Order: sequence, then structure tokens, then C-alpha cells
Amino acid sequence: MKTNERNLVMSDAASRLRRLAAFFSKGFLFLVAAASLVAVLLIIVYIARDAIPFFKLRGLKELFASTAWFPSGNPPEFGALAIFIGSGLVTLGAILVAVPLGIAAAIALSDILPYRLRQAVKPVIEILAALPSVAYGFFALVIFAPLLQNHGGSLLSLAAWLILLPLGLLIAFAVSEIATRSIRADVAPAARWLLAATLAAVLVRGLVALSAILKNVTVSSGTNAFNVSIILGIMALPTIVSVAEDSLQAAGRELREGSYALGATRAESLFRVIIPAAGSGIIAAVILGVMRAIGETMVVWMASGNAAQVPQPWYNFLSPVRTLTATIAGDMGEADQVLGSERYHVLFALALCLLLISFFANLASEWILRRQARRLGGLK
Amino acid sequence: MKLRSRKLLDRSLTGVSVMAIVLMALALLVLLGPIFSRGAAAFFFRATSEFRRINLEQFNRGDSRRIAAESQAVAEARQPLYGMLDDFAAELEDMDPARRRELRPQFKEVRDLLRELLGPLPGEMDAVMLRQQYGQTRWERAQVTLQRILFSEQWDYSDPSRMGSKVLVPRRQAFVGTQLEPLFPHLQQNLKSMLRPRFTFYWRFLSDRSLDSHFFGGIWPEILGTFYLTLGAMLLAIPFGVIAAIYLSEFAAAGRLVSLLRVCISTLAGVPSIVFGLFGLAFFINTLHLSHSKSVLAGSATLALLILPTIIRAAEEALKSVPHAYKEAALSLGASPLRMVLTVLLPAALPGILTGIIISMGRAAGETAPIIFTAAVSVGRPLKLWETLNQPTPALPWNIYNLATEHQAVDQIRHVQFGMVLTLVLLVLLLNLAAIVIRARVSRKMRG
Repeated sequence: MKTNERNLVMSDAASRLRRLAAFFSKGFLFLVAAASLVAVLLIIVYIARDAIPFFKLRGLKELFASTAWFPSGNPPEFGALAIFIGSGLVTLGAILVAVPLGIAAAIALSDILPYRLRQAVKPVIEILAALPSVAYGFFALVIFAPLLQNHGGSLLSLAAWLILLPLGLLIAFAVSEIATRSIRADVAPAARWLLAATLAAVLVRGLVALSAILKNVTVSSGTNAFNVSIILGIMALPTIVSVAEDSLQAAGRELREGSYALGATRAESLFRVIIPAAGSGIIAAVILGVMRAIGETMVVWMASGNAAQVPQPWYNFLSPVRTLTATIAGDMGEADQVLGSERYHVLFALALCLLLISFFANLASEWILRRQARRLGGLK
Repeated sequence: MKLRSRKLLDRSLTGVSVMAIVLMALALLVLLGPIFSRGAAAFFFRATSEFRRINLEQFNRGDSRRIAAESQAVAEARQPLYGMLDDFAAELEDMDPARRRELRPQFKEVRDLLRELLGPLPGEMDAVMLRQQYGQTRWERAQVTLQRILFSEQWDYSDPSRMGSKVLVPRRQAFVGTQLEPLFPHLQQNLKSMLRPRFTFYWRFLSDRSLDSHFFGGIWPEILGTFYLTLGAMLLAIPFGVIAAIYLSEFAAAGRLVSLLRVCISTLAGVPSIVFGLFGLAFFINTLHLSHSKSVLAGSATLALLILPTIIRAAEEALKSVPHAYKEAALSLGASPLRMVLTVLLPAALPGILTGIIISMGRAAGETAPIIFTAAVSVGRPLKLWETLNQPTPALPWNIYNLATEHQAVDQIRHVQFGMVLTLVLLVLLLNLAAIVIRARVSRKMRG
């Protein structure tokens, strides 16, 4: 806005007044806009202020290296390693659920579904994102946990069939296709079918064996890392789908048309052209989804079992775990009474860890998204 | 690769990605299905005569003469049952000591369960707690209690290689040959006339206060608390959010300071909600002393911080989507930038801003973690408006957690929990629906 040129319509005095008003209003707007900056600073300062006394009192090593979590014991122990592992485990589980599903759904939304269907799917994602976390937690605790506890084995084997059968058949076809490429043309189809049928039979036989093993799994408690991972995965889906879809869209029409013009199929142009171009955006989407899973409180508090122990072995998703967020939420009720004690400050120390994780993950995703925008902008 | 196999791979990609969409929709259905079906049972259910008695005595509701007549009839229907109890009590006194010692605790158990089913036995003093003054108000709960009277649960550990299994043993067996034996078939056959279940639409579930920590009554205090918290958060966040968006979209020159601001906004959006809760406790309550302890005000302020980034982003998006021609026309007519914003830009962007506001309202209403330490209590009465400055309140999300995990009789009040979840979910869904409708209208208008 150029306001320093001589004004032809207004008198000088009026123009000066106006400029002054504009300056002050702009300053006021800036001050209000800076509220979020102030808020971030205050959050960091006030969480750190109550976290530092803990590190002063107990040092760094105990919190991160020991698994003995007895904050109300005598003497109290504050080893949060099991809690960090718990948080990591449920987040890993959530990623395993949400990333494949989310990226596949994003591909469908950006490239495969027709416009009308896409418009119909959008509200589904919006509702999944909008449902309150306590509703997810309630579902996990009241409906999913008893189901898992009573029919855990059959549920697991059903899931294995549903997921592995289509994927396995696909892989069997692809493998037989590739393996018979160099065979003489007149016997190739027969060989291909024979190989595919054998592979499929092996697959089904393996699945039968696997589901027999899974059927015998007894779930001693329905509130465990597996339950929470599935629910957190569903909660992280909307974030992953929408960010990944945005970056797939941002890859642009020109890239797609160029790839089709060279004779690539849709799958080929997606995997060789579009996804490499949009890759960093997809990584950012995954980071944001991870953030959602780490920071979620209610679901893990209600349905993770809240046992501060390291699962044996570490990947045992069927054992109860305890996470950072649930520990803060659950222990503050008692620690609040003794303001200024180690018990109070250790929760702030955990919150500081959470805050730092989310802060750096956010910066990373921000940086990735910006770099991608610059790069794709340069492509055009 | 052969063309055919390339096609096959292409098709399978389509299949996999469509399957992902289907799975997502399925997940939503599986989530909402039980919440809707079992939540509806908080409103529609078969209410017994005890329910109507509570309505009359606690809420002064219903035709008192008819309910008195019904109570009379019900009491008559129960009379033979109570007669059997008295007869057996007399018989018990004359039994030989060993048998008496064996039967007395079981008899006491039956009496306790009957009390739970039908309310206090005749001639007993009024209990202190409301839940002991009335029997089962819901027919399906009465059925559960009836099963517990007819059968006692025992654990069978006879097979050491397996976990103990539950066995249902008919209670009648213990009382064979006594005066109490006919009680069990009698109760089973005549329970309907003792409780008179009738289909009821209890819409006042939304507007009734809760009685005896949610054993009876409705969820009004929670609804009101959620309303206050959301309203407060919106009042605090909207001015800041919209002004910040105006600054960022119209006045900010690209520079270090502005990109720092943007980083802060996205950082704020990424802070876990429980950290907001801790911050609210440490800052608003322990440092600023907004209130002595938890209060609606402190909770609203915390929630406002949480939704600030959402509002800023949505408002900025809406402001940016206003066509440039609008702004240029206003400026060329001699309007100052500020006037242009107030008279042209804001009205044009209003529906978009409104969409963002509505969506963040749903978020504020449903968040639990930030209000745990700053605003929420499990039991409370509906607050007056001025009390929100220094009083904590029950709120829907917190009480869903509380009733589902910490209540002393979690299993007996499932219908209340589901009713609360349904109310909250419906609230959020309606808000989102409104946002979707507004957005659709806007995009139609913008397209012309």
C-alpha cells in the first residue's frame, strides 16, 4: 500500500491523520495477532518452570533410565522409562494402522474416486476428526475392550484373514507374473496360472495355520496397547488423509498428464511420479498423525490399562501399558494436593518432554511442507 | 512387463485404495452404531412404576392420583411375596442351628436383592440414599436383578488345567422344602405386575438434574457446564483469532516476525491437549489466581488457547478466498485499508469465518484433557451465570470419563453414560453439519 505519495483527494492534514490512524490500527492488530506468540512462550515458560525443580531434585538419569515408577512410595521412585516405552508402543501401533490406510485413502481421494463420490467421503473424514476423544475412549473401554477380552482370538484371526488374504493374493499374482516373464510365449500363460495357483494355495495354508495360532491367543485384559493402537490409528486417520491428499493434489495436473502421455498407467504414474513429488508432504502428514497419537489423552487413559511396566517382549501389544499423557492426567488428581512436591513436579517434567517432542515434530513437518511448496512452486 | 499385468497392478491399486475408504467409513459406522443405539436407550425405555414414583416424589411430575392408584395396585401384587419372606423368617427361627447358620446369609442376600429390585421392604425405615429408597426404574435393569435373584454366581475351579469358569446355580436349590421355595417361581411369573413396565420417552433426561450421583434423573448440570465452557472459550478466542487472521492476511508484510508468528500458531496447534490443561493449572490458577481453585473461567481460558489456532487458520483461509476485485474496488473508492476490511472484506468472508468458529466450537465442547485440572468436577449443581467466575462445573466430556471409570456402580448406570456420549456426539455432529451446510452455500455463491 503506497500512502507516502501526495494525496490528490484529501488535504494534507486529513491524510496525515489517516496515516497515523492506519499506523496505530496496524500496531494494535499486530499486538493482538502476537497473542499466539505470547501463549506459546508462556506455555513453554510455565511448564518448564514447574519441571526444572524436579530435575534439580532428582537429576536427569532416574527419569529416563529406570522403570520403577512409584511416585507415592516411600521413598518415591520416578523411573519413567516404561511410560516412555508405553507411549512409543501405542504410537507405533497407531502408525501401523493409520499410515497404510491413510495413504491409500488419500490416493483414492486425490486420484481415483470420481468427484461426486469424493464429496460424499469428505464428511466421513470430517466426522472422524470431529468426534470428541472421550467418545473414542468410551467406545474403546465399554465396547471394544470387552469384545477383545471375550473374543480376542477369533477377532485376531478374522483380522488376519481380512488383511492378509487380499494382499497375499495380489502379491502371488505379481510374483507369478514377474517369474514367468522370460518363459516361451506359448507355455507362459499356463505356467503363470500354475505358479499363481500354487502360491495362493501356500498362502491359504499359511493363513489357516496362522489363524489357528491366533485363535488360541487369550487376551487377559481388553484394556491394552492393541486396543488403544487401533482406536488411536482411527483418530489419526483424518489428519493423515487430509494432509497427504493436499500434498498429492499439490503435485499438480501437469505432472500427471505428462506421465499419462508417456504411456504410464495410473498406478505407475502415482508410484513413479506423483508420490516422489509429493513424498515430503506425505512424510509431514505422517508426522502430524504421530503427533495426534502421542498427544492423545482420553483414549489411552481410559483403555490402555495404565500399568507402568515394560511389555514382555517389548512388542507384545496385548499387554497393558501406560503413557505420558495418561500418567499426567491420572496422577495430577493426587499430586495436586501437595503443591510443590516431587510428585507434582515430575508430571510437569513429563509434560515438558511431551511439549518438546510435539514442538520439534511440528517444526519438522512445517519445514517439510514449506520446502515442498517451494519446490513444487518452482516446478510450475 | 506385459500390458495385462500392468493393468492388473493398476486395478489392484484402485482396489486397495477404495478398500481403505470403505474401511474408514466402516470404522465410523462401527463407532457410531452402538453409541446411537444404546444412547437412545437413555431416552426410550420401559419405565417401571418406580420410575413414575420418582418422577412424582422428586420432580413433582405426573398425575398424582393415578400414580397413587398404581402404587396401591403394585403393593397388592407384591403382598404375597412379602408374606413368603415373613413366613420364612419365622420358619428360620425354628430350624436346627446348623441349617439356620447355613441359610441365614443366603436369605439375607435374597432380601438385599429384592430390596434392590422393588425398593424398601414393607415396614423398613427410609434409607438415607435415594438409590435405596426406590427399586429398579428401568425394566431391563429389573430383568438383570431378577436373574441375580434366581441364580447365584459361583466359580468352578474343579479343572485345575483351565481357568475358573462361572457357573449359575439356581438359588431355589438351597431353599428346597422351605416356605421360601415358591418365592422364586412366583417372582419370575409376576414381576410384570409388581413393576408394571411401560414404554416411556424420557426427553427430560436432557433437562433434569441428576439424583444420587446419576442413579436417577438427567444430565442437565453437565449440559449447562459444557455450554458455559464452550461459550466462554468462544468469547475469549473469537476476537483474538479473527483479528489475528485479519492482520496475517491483510496487513502483515512477509518477514521474519510474521513467519515466526506462523510458526507459533502451528506450534500452538500441535501442543497436546493435556499440556494445555497443566498450563491452565500452573498459569491461570496457580499464578494469575483467576479463581481460588478450578473454575469455569479458568477452563474457558484454557480451551480458548486450544482453539485459537483453529480459528485463526479458518478465518485466514476465509479472508484469503474473498476475490481481489472486492478489495481493489473498495480501495479505489477511497476507503482506508481498515475501513475496507470492516465494510467489505469481513462481511464477504463472514460465512467462512463462521464455519471455522462452529467447528472449533465442537472441538471446545468435546475436549476433556484441558478441563480436568482447570474446570471440571464430577458432581455439581447447575451454576448461575455469575458463579462461573469462581465455581467449577460438571461437564459432559469429563463426566463421561468419570461415570465410565470412577463411579461406584459403573455397570448399573451404563444407560446414563451412553446417553451422555450420545448427547455430546450429537452436539458435535450438529455443529459440523451446520458448518458443512454453510460451506456448501458459500461455495455455491462464490461460484456464482
